[in-house]
Amino acid sequence: MSDLVALAVAVPIFGSLAALVAGLVRSESGWPVAVVACVAQVAIAARLAATAFGDGTITYVVGGFEAPYGIELLVDGLAATMLGLIAVVSLGVLAYARRAGPRSNPFYAVYLLLVAGLTGMSVTADLFNMYVFLEITGLAAYALVASGDRGRSAVAALKYLLVGTVGASLFLLGVGYAYIDTGTLNMADLATKLGDADPTLVHAAFAFIVVGLFIKVAVFPLHTWQPDAYAGAPDSVAALVSALVSTVAAYALLRVVYTVFGVGFLANNELAHAILVGGATVSIVAGSLLAVSQSEVKRMLAYSSVSQFGLVVAAIAIGNVTALMGAVVHLVGHAIMKGGLFLTAGLVATETGARRVEEFDGLVRRSPVGAGAFGVLAVAMVGVPPTVGFAGKWYIAVGAAESGSWALLAVIVGSTLLTLAYFARLVERMFFREPSDDLEPAIEAVADGGEAPGASLGMRATVVAAAVAAVALGLAVFGYSQHLQPTIEVLLS
Amino acid sequence: MIDLLATRDYYLASFLLLGVGTYVMIAARNFVKKVIGMNIFQTGIFLFFIAAAYLEGANPPVLTMDGPHVSPLPHVLILTAIVVGVALTAVALGMIVRIYAEYGTLTEDTLEEVRNGE
Amino acid sequence: MTEIPSILPLAAVLVSAVAVVPILAFRDRPNVRESWTVLAALAKFGLVASMVPAALAGDVYVTDLGTLVPYVEFTLRADSLGLLFALLASTLWVVTSFYSIGYMRGLDEDHQARYFASFAASVSAAVGVAFASNLVVLYLFYELLTVATYPLVAHDGTDEARAAGRKYLAYTFGGGVAVLAGTLLVVYLTGTTAFTAGGIAELASADPTLARAAFALLITGFGVKAALMPLHSWLPDAMVAPTPVSGLLHAVAVVKSGVFGVARVLLDVFGIDLVAELGVGGVLAAVAAFTLVVASVIALRQDNLKRRLAFSTVSQLSYIVLGLAVGASAAGGDAAKWALIGGLLHIPAHAFMKLTLFFCAGAIHVETHTDDISNMAGIGRRMPLTMGAFAVAAAGMAGIPLVAGFVSKYFLLIGTVSSGDLAFTAALLVSGVLNIAYFWPVVYTAFFETAEGADEKPLVSGILGGRFAREARADGGHADDHGAFERRAANGAESTWLMLGPILFAAAGAVVLGVVPDAAVFLQIVRDVAETATAMGVVA
Repeated sequence: MSDLVALAVAVPIFGSLAALVAGLVRSESGWPVAVVACVAQVAIAARLAATAFGDGTITYVVGGFEAPYGIELLVDGLAATMLGLIAVVSLGVLAYARRAGPRSNPFYAVYLLLVAGLTGMSVTADLFNMYVFLEITGLAAYALVASGDRGRSAVAALKYLLVGTVGASLFLLGVGYAYIDTGTLNMADLATKLGDADPTLVHAAFAFIVVGLFIKVAVFPLHTWQPDAYAGAPDSVAALVSALVSTVAAYALLRVVYTVFGVGFLANNELAHAILVGGATVSIVAGSLLAVSQSEVKRMLAYSSVSQFGLVVAAIAIGNVTALMGAVVHLVGHAIMKGGLFLTAGLVATETGARRVEEFDGLVRRSPVGAGAFGVLAVAMVGVPPTVGFAGKWYIAVGAAESGSWALLAVIVGSTLLTLAYFARLVERMFFREPSDDLEPAIEAVADGGEAPGASLGMRATVVAAAVAAVALGLAVFGYSQHLQPTIEVLLS
Repeated sequence: MIDLLATRDYYLASFLLLGVGTYVMIAARNFVKKVIGMNIFQTGIFLFFIAAAYLEGANPPVLTMDGPHVSPLPHVLILTAIVVGVALTAVALGMIVRIYAEYGTLTEDTLEEVRNGE
Repeated sequence: MTEIPSILPLAAVLVSAVAVVPILAFRDRPNVRESWTVLAALAKFGLVASMVPAALAGDVYVTDLGTLVPYVEFTLRADSLGLLFALLASTLWVVTSFYSIGYMRGLDEDHQARYFASFAASVSAAVGVAFASNLVVLYLFYELLTVATYPLVAHDGTDEARAAGRKYLAYTFGGGVAVLAGTLLVVYLTGTTAFTAGGIAELASADPTLARAAFALLITGFGVKAALMPLHSWLPDAMVAPTPVSGLLHAVAVVKSGVFGVARVLLDVFGIDLVAELGVGGVLAAVAAFTLVVASVIALRQDNLKRRLAFSTVSQLSYIVLGLAVGASAAGGDAAKWALIGGLLHIPAHAFMKLTLFFCAGAIHVETHTDDISNMAGIGRRMPLTMGAFAVAAAGMAGIPLVAGFVSKYFLLIGTVSSGDLAFTAALLVSGVLNIAYFWPVVYTAFFETAEGADEKPLVSGILGGRFAREARADGGHADDHGAFERRAANGAESTWLMLGPILFAAAGAVVLGVVPDAAVFLQIVRDVAETATAMGVVA
């Protein structure tokens, strides 16, 4: 059973190699390979999730070296959730990318490498191993962003690379402090040993790790790479990266803060707590304000992510069972909603050429599916019940109320209005203005030419599926959260 | 204070490298220099780990040599990190090649001008 | 009281939401599309009405859909208070459906499919508000109602309509946030949000300061849609929407979902005893009294008929809130009962009367494209039945006997007098006079003036008004009879029966409620609610 855990990381890596090799035989053969790998990944994730939720945590030691000396992989309810999310989203984006491109084999090789990196980050129980997967994820993400055919993509990717590397390096520095202090890298082992360690070193480790991950999560003011990267990337990549990369980084933050440092550390260290609360609050407010002032839709969505991840960090800062469940629910919900929004933005651009806010005028006439899905996803993002956007906010807000963090509660509840501020103007333009004429459907985002791309059934179906999921998941949240509760309680104990 | 600096000189050097790396990444206008800055930054971290493994009077961690050995684990970790660093540099240089092909420049300021003219 | 597990409440909520699909699907075939609207309206009315007998017998239909999020059961309960609102909304939706068809076709509007679909969705959300069994489910439908009505407000797509839409969203979502914050506070204090007759027990033992804060947040949130001053200013702007929307949604369903929320908070979350104990009922009553007087004064100055009606709505909604607040702060006894009955009965009474008034304004707009009162001189000749209905409904608004408004206002007056709040009695009476002052000129202009011979209006342009107040005419001649509007017979030649029928029906409803209130089912339901609330108050 536990071999499946290793397989979850190995399958996409082998898929990645297979896509490269297949490319030697026949070009444009990467897509089927990627589909096979992602379907296998979904199956593995489903099996692991069933076991993790049913029988409890699965552990696996790599190469037979027992923890804490060897590398340990661990799948609890939290990791299983991330595994499932990664598998499903990457498969869904594939359905979209079939027509929207890019189509080259190297693209799909890197695509699967990203899946492998994200999966690795989710299952590892070793801090240094997490760094390695963080870098693999980063490398793959930089390359994917650069796969757009415009120079803009390369510039965005280089900026992303420089900032992202600093983030990962700071994380590594933090890991170094923790290691010097305790002589171990296994998370569970660290947790027991950090208690007796030199507090100065522990504080330094916490600060470096958290700030490093803040860069990866794109918490304001460390978010600067994100809007360029999302706006410069091809649509399918923007969707994949926005849905998964920051999400898994936030998961890593949650994992490190609670598994390694523990609740007690946060409770005893005002400053540590203040870093999280401050980052969260500033992100929520500043992200929304910046989103309002954007004229390009994809940049607006990117800033919206800054704001939404502020909510997740807020939940991590609150740190009781309800809030952490809220963090997980919102991570999953945000991935579905934001990924869906980027795909919708891509669909709209393919059908009508509209990429800027003012070009969305009267969109409902030109792209009814796109406008409809965008509307539903925007409403979900604002947090109108019963969508998943509401469920996440509700858990986080109840968590804030339970812990008596009134200021944070006000920000969380008020974030609804801030989100409304930037989505309402788009919705208004889409449905209540007459279309402007001078737009041509964009022929773009296909790196290696090929026939002219119109929107395919697969693209429309993916977009509609995301919109439906955003509503349907909201109703399934309670059942899920009850399964997740034991995991969170273990995490907090 | 002097004493502290003298006994912790490796750490001092590693944080000096971090500082230099950060400065170059921010201040240099040329993309290649930015990547060099990134490399210096990472080297600072490598030195930090290796310095932590050092033990006064110890031998390299090879079984044929007499103990005490310096801690082998950080060496292994940093070997991995160096590989990652090389891969990153390669990807970064690849992007720079593309930027040069597209815009015909490697400096940030000129690039801004070119892109504003787009 | 027994609870009957049943699918009925859910079906009543969903039937019109389901109808959205065929309405959109048949967007190119207007007759098929409109049949779906009518079908859904009739089905909804049937479903809601079928639950009334059980409610009067003290039984409650319940649909349990499991747990939504922690602390929150997703349950729909058709209790008396909920049925009052649901029955009202679904009855009037049937009428409004026909009227909408006449109105939209009469004006040959664009986006009719979107209009009818949003309308159906809005009514679904309104009934959902009615049947919500706890604060979160109520919040859920309250927000959905905002989302569903937004396309109706911004329907015209003009700059003005879009601005009104933005304002509408900002106000109502702002209110939603306050409701959410208040709900969270209630969760924090009590661990539940379920509506309980007589109030949630744990709340009584909670920290009074926090309980007051929760009360303030909830009332502020619901007060936005109930248009309590100073949160009312979205409502007059929203009048840019098509008139059936102004009629059913912005005089009945949407605004009363706010009032209904206030009622739930007072009666079923805090309970009237606790409201009295916390001393917050008096504050709410004072705000309501202020609103109902000031809004009446502002209404005097509005020349656009729909805006005048909107301010009248702001004022009348505060009658309801005042009744509820006085009833709650009187803490049991007959005074509380009278005030509650008055307030609650004013929900249907105002609905029938205001719907008539809006329908008339809409008919005038469709037939003559006249929106301003100053241009309506002599319009009673052109549209005798319409303006006749208008006069009846206006009389009811002013509290003249034999129309619905009299009964509810009578109860309100008794309530405030017997609870000793004479200041509120005075406010009610002043507002009653103002009601006459802003409605009488409309009726007078329509029937007794012509385009050439306009007279001064009492209070607005002269203390007494009338022709004597102006300078004497030089030739002493009488105003000629040739107004801008041709004279038509009172047999329905003035408009299509699709519009005229609903106008007459709504006016007749207002009269029935006024003449034989005991026969109309609304008073029975209201009595039931008031007695439960006050009885609980005494026991607790």
